[in-house]
Amino acid sequence: MSSEKDKSTQKVTLASNDGSHIEVDRVVAERSMLIKNLIEDLGDDSVSTAAIPIPNVNDPVLRKVVEWCEKHRGDSQQSTEEENDSRKKTTDIDEWDQKFMQVDQEMLFEIILAANYLDIKALLDVGCKTVANMIKGKSPEEIRKTFNITNDFTPEEEEQIRRENEWAEDR
Amino acid sequence: MISTPRTCRAFRAPCGVSLLAWDSSLTCHRWNYLQAGITKIMLNLQEGVDLQTYMGIYTAVHNFCTSQKAVGFSVTANINTGAHRGAHLLGEDLYKKLQEYLSAHLRGLLNESKLHTDEALLAFYIREWQRYTVAAKYIHHLFRYLNRHWVKREMDEGKKSIFDVYTLHLVRWRDVLFEPVSGKVMGAVLMLVEKQRNGETIEYNQIKQVVESFVSLGLDDTDVAKTTLDVYRFSFERPFLQATRAFYQNESKQFVAENSVVEYMKKAEARLDEEEERVKIYLHPDIAIPLKKACNEVLIAEHSTILRDEFQVLLDNDREDDMKRMYSLLSRIPDGLEPLRQKFENHVRKAGLAAVAKVSVDVDKLEPKVYVDALLEIHTQYQGLVKRAFNDEPEFTRSLDNACREFVNRNEVCKSGSNKSPELLAKYTDVLLRKSGTGAEETELENTLSQIMTVFKYIEDKDVFQKFYSRMLARRLVHSNSSSDDAETSMISKLKEACGFEYTNKLQRMFQDMQISKDLNTGFKEHVQGLGAKGLDSAYSILGTGFWPLTAPNTTFNPPEEISADCERFARFYRNKHEGRKLTWLWQLCKGEIKTNYIRNAKMPYTFQVSIYQMAILLLFNEKDKNTYEEIASTTQLNTEALDPSLSILLKAKVLTISDGDKVGPGTAYSLNYDFKNKKFRVNLNVGMKSETKQEEAETNKTIEEDRKLLLQSAIVRIMKARKRMKHQQLVSETINQIRQRFVPKVGDIKKCIEILLDKEYLERLDDDDLGYLA
Repeated sequence: MSSEKDKSTQKVTLASNDGSHIEVDRVVAERSMLIKNLIEDLGDDSVSTAAIPIPNVNDPVLRKVVEWCEKHRGDSQQSTEEENDSRKKTTDIDEWDQKFMQVDQEMLFEIILAANYLDIKALLDVGCKTVANMIKGKSPEEIRKTFNITNDFTPEEEEQIRRENEWAEDR
Repeated sequence: MISTPRTCRAFRAPCGVSLLAWDSSLTCHRWNYLQAGITKIMLNLQEGVDLQTYMGIYTAVHNFCTSQKAVGFSVTANINTGAHRGAHLLGEDLYKKLQEYLSAHLRGLLNESKLHTDEALLAFYIREWQRYTVAAKYIHHLFRYLNRHWVKREMDEGKKSIFDVYTLHLVRWRDVLFEPVSGKVMGAVLMLVEKQRNGETIEYNQIKQVVESFVSLGLDDTDVAKTTLDVYRFSFERPFLQATRAFYQNESKQFVAENSVVEYMKKAEARLDEEEERVKIYLHPDIAIPLKKACNEVLIAEHSTILRDEFQVLLDNDREDDMKRMYSLLSRIPDGLEPLRQKFENHVRKAGLAAVAKVSVDVDKLEPKVYVDALLEIHTQYQGLVKRAFNDEPEFTRSLDNACREFVNRNEVCKSGSNKSPELLAKYTDVLLRKSGTGAEETELENTLSQIMTVFKYIEDKDVFQKFYSRMLARRLVHSNSSSDDAETSMISKLKEACGFEYTNKLQRMFQDMQISKDLNTGFKEHVQGLGAKGLDSAYSILGTGFWPLTAPNTTFNPPEEISADCERFARFYRNKHEGRKLTWLWQLCKGEIKTNYIRNAKMPYTFQVSIYQMAILLLFNEKDKNTYEEIASTTQLNTEALDPSLSILLKAKVLTISDGDKVGPGTAYSLNYDFKNKKFRVNLNVGMKSETKQEEAETNKTIEEDRKLLLQSAIVRIMKARKRMKHQQLVSETINQIRQRFVPKVGDIKKCIEILLDKEYLERLDDDDLGYLA
């Protein structure tokens, strides 16, 4: 077992699926529950020499994720249930994260998928909120345009859905 | 959540979107890959898992769950079931496969377990349990994606039979392996424990682990987040307690048959401690209380009769340590001590009665000190026993108090008169507080007074004590032979503490009167000096009529001129100060000193300490050497009851000689004895006679009866004034309650008092046996 001090200075290496290696502080990597559990299960030594393969994420996305984790390395990991709830209900995003998310749509979805895969809850939330803000206040037609979605409903189906969701419409 | 109208059939929340093209169904190939990984973790974890495998399994689980599911994803299904589901979560197949895998693995273990018995089975169970739970933790982490999405959704929807992956492991273990094998494992545990109880050393860590395992399996099926001890209680605690009972039932029966009760108590105590230790070392804390209860029942309650029978023997032989042990054993079972308390109370009462009987061979000559010491000795002895052996328990103290109250108030001495105890106690207090030659140390005196209070507490007739005490206090004060004011004050405040202000009010006033009189005398002396008159060297005490237990003399008296002049001057002086007060002279308490200058052959003049009656008689002889009885009687105006004893003492001391007869009485004459001789120059002739004190005692006892009637009446009036209307029976019991502090009233007396009050029209009879208060 290594002491707390070792833990803060210890480095781990992440290997993206396209072969690049990124070295980060252990605490930064442990923003990912997946990596945190892995180190806990396999032991400190297992990651001190070898790189951790991340088969589902490529280099640019992984770098982006690591950038976010670096920024948020000090955030408290455990937010209480209440905090979670209030955070969920608002679509407010802090300034740095907003800037961070100013990427093309493909990258945005890649980040969200990676956060989901790596089990980084806070980053996943930020990503989903960003998408939500893109949808907010738009008509179905505008949303289809934004996300490049083809309307495959028949008129009857569409009418049924409209009736079901009448309560949500602005009047 | 953000609510937005749906824009197309397959639109998904971003978390569910997969950009990777995975096959939607769980193919054999992919499961085989997972199964290989899981098996490695299950069976060969000690060889370690590499990063590739770990990440591989996690990724495989993730990818499966996020893969698009094409089958059965029709429009109708979507609209009917998925209206509020942004995404269809996959994972059921995976969960089922894992479940099947675990069941198969555990069935294998179950078969293997049949090869082992007893301790080997125990070792096998522990080993497999540990391997299984460590692996479960790994697999739980690796299947985290399944937990986070599919399992979470299923549970949110209220499915009871779906658990997170770790819990699934436990549930499978419980259902497949634990159910059939736990009985045998428990058998092995119990065998080990019995070995240890028989003195062998065992590997108790195994038992500890079994306990932990059983506790872990206590899953609440209705709420997975909660754990219960139900499984543990049923499978471990219950058989464990059964075995414990059986073991100790057997052992104690045999031990009692072969050993003494005292030995058995030691054995039982050791066994009880041992079991407590056992809980601390390797059992679950939850068993502490039921285990203790079981042991208490088998080791103590089932043998309580023979234990209690031994108690009298221990008491008789002062076996303090053994009594302490018996106390601590029997205090562990419900109602265990009550019979001991009864025996104890009886024993103390008998001891007290015996102690009194020993000293009271001749009640009339019984020294108060001897009597009180006898009472105190018993009390001290058994109070000590209560402290040391019975944990100073309030209930035992109460038994002690009951016993003491019995033997203090109803013993051999009290047979001659129920007032004897308080009387003797008051007398002893008087002895202590009177000026005496011994001059006891102040602290010692204080201690003895505290002991007096110990006995006082038990006295039922506290009013009797009060009567005697106030009489004797009056005597000490009037004759100023009290040992110290401090001691007197201390005693009064002790009594006040015990019985309240009312009880000591009069005592305190007596004390104050003496203080006021001192100042008054100083004032009077100054007054006399200011007049330039030559007075006597006199001191007066003004005693408030209601407070002192004194009565006016029962004889007329004509004080000699020398005295009366001074007395009248004082009376004028006092009236001047306090108008309207009536002074009554208590001649019988007056005393003085006279100096002789007539005696021949005296190197120094004798001084006689005399009562004022004696002084009046002697002063007559200043006029002539011989006086007849009649002459003396007519000048002094004393009646025979006062005159005869005074003369007798003067005769006995040979100050006077008698002629014309040899018995004091009419027709005799008295001459001054010029040849008086005595070793001392100060001769005390003012000695009370035996008959006088006897008479006083009788008088005191008589006034007690009268005072009690008054006390009862005032209590009844007080109660009725407050209640206005009351049943006869109620009034009687209420009166008893109020008066009990002072003495134990007889119902007949209370009834008599009620009759008196009815006659006096304080009360009236109403219908239905009610009494009413007349204002």
